[in-house]
Amino acid sequence: MNAVLLQLTASAVLVAFMILVAGLARIARPVAPLDEASARALLAGEFPDLPPNYLWIAGDGAGVIARAGEDALVAYRLGDSWVARSMPWPLALSAPVKRGKVLLKLRDPAAPMARLTVSGVNPWPPENPREALAA
Amino acid sequence: MTLDPIKPAFNPVDWAVPVFVITIVAEIILARFRKARAVYEVRDTATSLAMGLGSQIAGLLTAGVIGVTILWVYEHRLFTLPMNAWWAWVAVFFLEDLTYYWFHRLSHERRFWWASHVNHHTSQHYNLATALRQTWTGGIAGTWLLWLPMIFFGFPPAMVAIQKGISLVYQYWIHTEAIRRFPRWFEAVFNTPSHHRVHHARNPRYLDANYAGILIIWDRMFGSYIPELDEEPCRYGVVHNLGDFNIFRVAFHEWMAIGKDLAGSRSIREVIGYLFGPPGWSPDGSRDTSATLKAKWLAREAAVSPSAEAATAPLQAAE
Repeated sequence: MNAVLLQLTASAVLVAFMILVAGLARIARPVAPLDEASARALLAGEFPDLPPNYLWIAGDGAGVIARAGEDALVAYRLGDSWVARSMPWPLALSAPVKRGKVLLKLRDPAAPMARLTVSGVNPWPPENPREALAA
Repeated sequence: MTLDPIKPAFNPVDWAVPVFVITIVAEIILARFRKARAVYEVRDTATSLAMGLGSQIAGLLTAGVIGVTILWVYEHRLFTLPMNAWWAWVAVFFLEDLTYYWFHRLSHERRFWWASHVNHHTSQHYNLATALRQTWTGGIAGTWLLWLPMIFFGFPPAMVAIQKGISLVYQYWIHTEAIRRFPRWFEAVFNTPSHHRVHHARNPRYLDANYAGILIIWDRMFGSYIPELDEEPCRYGVVHNLGDFNIFRVAFHEWMAIGKDLAGSRSIREVIGYLFGPPGWSPDGSRDTSATLKAKWLAREAAVSPSAEAATAPLQAAE
């Protein structure tokens, strides 16, 4: 038992060391804030059969909500990568905003919630919902 | 020399631990100085390594049951194969690798076992640390049962355990983008970084392919081989990537999803489908499986490109 504990402790120390080295190296992918073109490219990769006709980009450029028919296409940054899900558009439109973030329940144990930054220039729901609703 | 047929004389994985640490650090440093291709995001790396550490602990919890079962089967074996015969080691090498192929294929193509294996594929990066993102629920999922026929036939448990360890260590070093391709003869016979990048890719073209452990010949034989194409770089991860770096979500999310689906099931057919259908199966076909994703991709290729036939040829040749 002692040998097992010793082995686990040694492994934990080595894990911490490797995480430290990875952190110091700073070799993650560079990720620029989304603009319309990059958001469309991201969504085209994630939802190739659902071309969006309305786009809302988070205030910090770290997420996007798009409308494709009756679906809302949601993508947000995680580390240097992206996570994407779809949900019914009406649910996205009625998602609450708390502490400057729109909270989207994705109904998936693998990614239960998306939190996208809302800014004054780009509020959620969109200030001109007719555009979003009619899209 | 007499070797204990029950207790392995050594564990290849234990011996390889220093190599794991040295090579991960080396890969990071080489990438830092642009001498090798590798991407490490610190939280992703921490998740991978924590999963590796957690799998050691999880393994301890089921080791007793697995050990007792293996011993019982070995006591009722058909033959007694010698541990000191070279041909027995050759046989165990091929049979263990073949068993690994089918274990791995099952782990991708049936949801119950995918739930245990999926965590290994949840990183959106492909580096040596990703190799250590190991399962916590393999013992419970029971995939180890697939190795019992070898024991029942008469291969000593220690021999099988050593070969399994060698296979695991072999598969470690192929989790890298730093090595592009080996000479053609090597790529034809062995599992390589190039083949395994395809296995970790979420591009529809590459889904459910290259299940090999050490030898890629099994994929070529059983029709699951897909080559890596320079014109289509691998995008790593799972079809629906995880929403955060929580290691408990990494370990259990698919089990939770199965539980949610079972709770909403309305018939035995649905229960069986949710448990043992391909990942993504749903009663009304509203979700995507690998097969439907590939079909949609092929349809898009055919629609946009006059040379779609050429583009999809490697995939079709592999099927």
